[in-house]
Amino acid sequence: MKGLWKNVAAASALALLGLGSAAEAKTQIVWWDFLAGGDGVRMKALISAFQKDNPDIEINATTLEWGVPFYTKVQTSAAIGQGPDVMTYHLSRLPLGVSTGTLRPFTDDELKSVGLTKDDYFASDWDAAHVDGKLYAVPLDIHSIVLYYNKDLLKKAGLLGDDGKPKGFDGLDNFNAALKALTDAGSGHYALSMHNGQPDGSSVWRIFYTLLSQQGGTFMKDGKVLDGDNLGKAEKALNAMANWAAQGWMPKNTTYPSSIALFTSGKAAMHINGVWEVPTMVDLAKQNKLGFEWGAIPVPTLFEHPATWADSHAFAIPNRKGNDIAPDKLKAVLTTIAWINKHSIDWASAGHIPAYKPVTESPAFETLKPNADYSALAKTAVFDPKSTITGVASPAYDAATNFMEPAVNGQMDAKSAIEQTRDELQNALQ
Amino acid sequence: MKRFTPSGVALTSLTLLAAALWIFPLYWGIITSLKPEYEVIEPAISLIPRHWTLDAYVYVFANTAILRWYVNSTGTAVAITVLVLILSAGCAYALSQLRFPGQYLLYGMILASFMVPIQALIVTHFVLMNSFGLIDSWLGVILPQLIVPVTVIVYKQFFDSIPKEFREAALLDGANEFQIFGRIYLPMNWGVTTALAIITFIGAWNNFLWPFLVANSNASMTVTVGITQVHENFGVQYARNLAGAVIAALPVAIAYLVFQRRVTEAIMLSAGIKG
Amino acid sequence: MPTVRKRQQTGAAVVFVGPFVVAYLVLFVYPTLKMVVLSFTNAPLIGEGKWVGWSNYLRLAHDNLFLQSVGHTIYFVVLTVIPTTLLGLVIAMMVLRLRGLLQSLVLAAFFLPYILPVTVVYRIWEWMIDPQFGIAQLPIRLLLGHSVAMWSDPLWAMPSIAFITIWWTNGFNVLLFIAGLKNISQDVHDAASLDGAHRWARFRYITWPLIWPVTALVLTIQLILQLKIFDQVYLMTVGGPFNSTYVVVQYIYKQAFQSNHGGYGATVAVVLFVAIAALSVLQFQALRVRPS
Repeated sequence: MKGLWKNVAAASALALLGLGSAAEAKTQIVWWDFLAGGDGVRMKALISAFQKDNPDIEINATTLEWGVPFYTKVQTSAAIGQGPDVMTYHLSRLPLGVSTGTLRPFTDDELKSVGLTKDDYFASDWDAAHVDGKLYAVPLDIHSIVLYYNKDLLKKAGLLGDDGKPKGFDGLDNFNAALKALTDAGSGHYALSMHNGQPDGSSVWRIFYTLLSQQGGTFMKDGKVLDGDNLGKAEKALNAMANWAAQGWMPKNTTYPSSIALFTSGKAAMHINGVWEVPTMVDLAKQNKLGFEWGAIPVPTLFEHPATWADSHAFAIPNRKGNDIAPDKLKAVLTTIAWINKHSIDWASAGHIPAYKPVTESPAFETLKPNADYSALAKTAVFDPKSTITGVASPAYDAATNFMEPAVNGQMDAKSAIEQTRDELQNALQ
Repeated sequence: MKRFTPSGVALTSLTLLAAALWIFPLYWGIITSLKPEYEVIEPAISLIPRHWTLDAYVYVFANTAILRWYVNSTGTAVAITVLVLILSAGCAYALSQLRFPGQYLLYGMILASFMVPIQALIVTHFVLMNSFGLIDSWLGVILPQLIVPVTVIVYKQFFDSIPKEFREAALLDGANEFQIFGRIYLPMNWGVTTALAIITFIGAWNNFLWPFLVANSNASMTVTVGITQVHENFGVQYARNLAGAVIAALPVAIAYLVFQRRVTEAIMLSAGIKG
Repeated sequence: MPTVRKRQQTGAAVVFVGPFVVAYLVLFVYPTLKMVVLSFTNAPLIGEGKWVGWSNYLRLAHDNLFLQSVGHTIYFVVLTVIPTTLLGLVIAMMVLRLRGLLQSLVLAAFFLPYILPVTVVYRIWEWMIDPQFGIAQLPIRLLLGHSVAMWSDPLWAMPSIAFITIWWTNGFNVLLFIAGLKNISQDVHDAASLDGAHRWARFRYITWPLIWPVTALVLTIQLILQLKIFDQVYLMTVGGPFNSTYVVVQYIYKQAFQSNHGGYGATVAVVLFVAIAALSVLQFQALRVRPS
């Protein structure tokens, strides 16, 4: 009896220290991600379901801070032969990651060994996962930005169609008129909220890139940033956003969480943000804490073409200098990646569109709400340019933080913000 | 003795008001962490939650590795405290009571590094810890925090002030240096040791920059660094963020409230003002 | 037999100082020397580099972000050091007027923030001054007519970090001043009752000169402390907006850890190290002149 308790105590102490009690039989893999909030909850559930299915693999997961902090850690650890066996990675950052030697490519055989092939993925995603012809990451999803809207407020302003979707939003003038109609300056109610303040310009970049692409503009081509008439288009995109703030339709300098809180508390009729905030709305609505009916649609076409910025979460293996991943761990990592891809319908409930086609084409996904309302955007999704200056936590994001965001908030004029962005990034390419 | 004058009453009221304002952010942080997330963003300011809830705390415990960070923080902070005190007390005893070659050079160097700019050494500390293979480990967190010259200086001052008679009597009784140290000098200075222990612990618990650089995963992440890892990338989470902050601050706040006098004493000691 | 005793003492001393000396050499002296050596190379964070002589140091003179971060660090020092010293003195005098439990409570209110981790301070103030929902925006709106996004506004970013730093660390100064004032209070009382001095005159001509050594001590401690600023800036503004709060330690971090320029990062570190070492001498002088 006494011995039993001693064992229990020892086992729980070990478990607390994350050492695991039955280590001899299991393959331990170290996992890093940047997934917090709704994403984090769902990924944790997926990991524990996976471990139940695969009792011989144990995943030690650590969540690090999204963005620059995560990628700084990954880069320094890989350089000194440390770091995880597998990690989440943004496809937009892949070229930058490869250029700093942080990533280890996958071979075809490795993928085949766990039953994954090229045909399982969307061409755009598959392409984004390659750098110089080598596959450096296995895509998990496509995620984008959408327009969240408050049906009650839109109805009051006569902007809600019979199908429960906003009407008359296409074209910048129409959209602006709608914003004007939805703003109630007297009570401090805004038509729109977006994250245009602390901690960075990531959301400004996403919306800017969407509006640039809707004009058919390209951010960079053949090593030239905002070349030719693209400069004017970029300025136009930024000016449209700055105008929303200048007119008082949208608050300035809004931090990430408060941009959402403005919407969920009914103080902003609409909100542009990533699909990853879908769980926030779903959960609040479920608890009856939202106080209104909500919906989500692709960002309206404000210029010539429908287009939306998009990125992908993917799995990658760091290129740890002098400490390559051991074959048994590699096998476990591949097993994990394949399993999660095949079960990514659960990931879709975090708002994302799975990258694994057998899941996306399944009836379960085609009826999943609200994803079904905006999944069409995948067809016109535009990824960040494939370059070492763009992507999450890249020089382009720095430029968005230092130049574009201030321009949106009226602290700098759009023309000089765009010119400084171009100069800075052109410089970073050298 | 003391008379109540109008200006005296006014000054006292002003002091109380200032103190209340000063402590208000702390109060507001704690209160917010006890509200449901939707109440936090209501336009009306409510100084007391309408619905008390521990939801934010439940969320933090369920969705972050905060318990593991706690173990890391406690383990590293205790180890740093114990090691710093042992290293410093021993060194200070020798400097104070023994004569040995290089003594003045050593003390001079310790005085010179009184305000060690650890921040300037981050690059080489990282290189060093990496060559020891200690990145992302407890030892990697601990080692660079062991250099606290001021503890040596404080101990030496206290050892200096113990009358020589104690030592000489013990020597006559045949005690060796280790016995004198362990049975006379340390016990006579338990007060200083407690004070230094508390402040070293608080310092180690609160340290940000070095653990932030060296800890890569839950294996060595301290709670002070960890609570900024559940960062504002998703949803409305003011209450959650503050719940994490309250949890992280709890041990040092309790240590202070329980050992208030010792903490203030230690702070004055380490600033060079003897109590 | 003095020589035997001396030898014994040396033997014991080796045991007593040995561990500290080893730790000191490995963890302080060696990293310091290594930092100086690195500063003359173009090494990455981890790995060997080539000797480049003084070129890293010459580069500093033309490095815009470095010069800016020096300027911002000095600006931060100006914004904090003297205000926090004076405020510490004022609060200490206010606290000392009180007696008993009230005094302990008021002192605790002023002191408590000092023992908090910086990340907690960050979380609290992030919420206090949130541009949309922060309670501190109410008085700001009353004064200015609109809310201010402190950490996104180049004008307000550094002053707000300085303000929060003062709130956080001022308790330390209050304690030092209370200790100092207690030491001199009897003198002040005696002198004042002799000539029936007016309150301000009593402060100006008696308290202030007597408390000056403590004031000088607080000033130098704060000066050295605030030069090392990194944590608050990194958490609150990450050096922005438009790099307007970039500081020296952050620049070391950026060069060494984000851009993988260990050698150049070490160069910046050497500059900081020398500056602080020089100021430590100042502090040592301040300590020596204090009345015991």
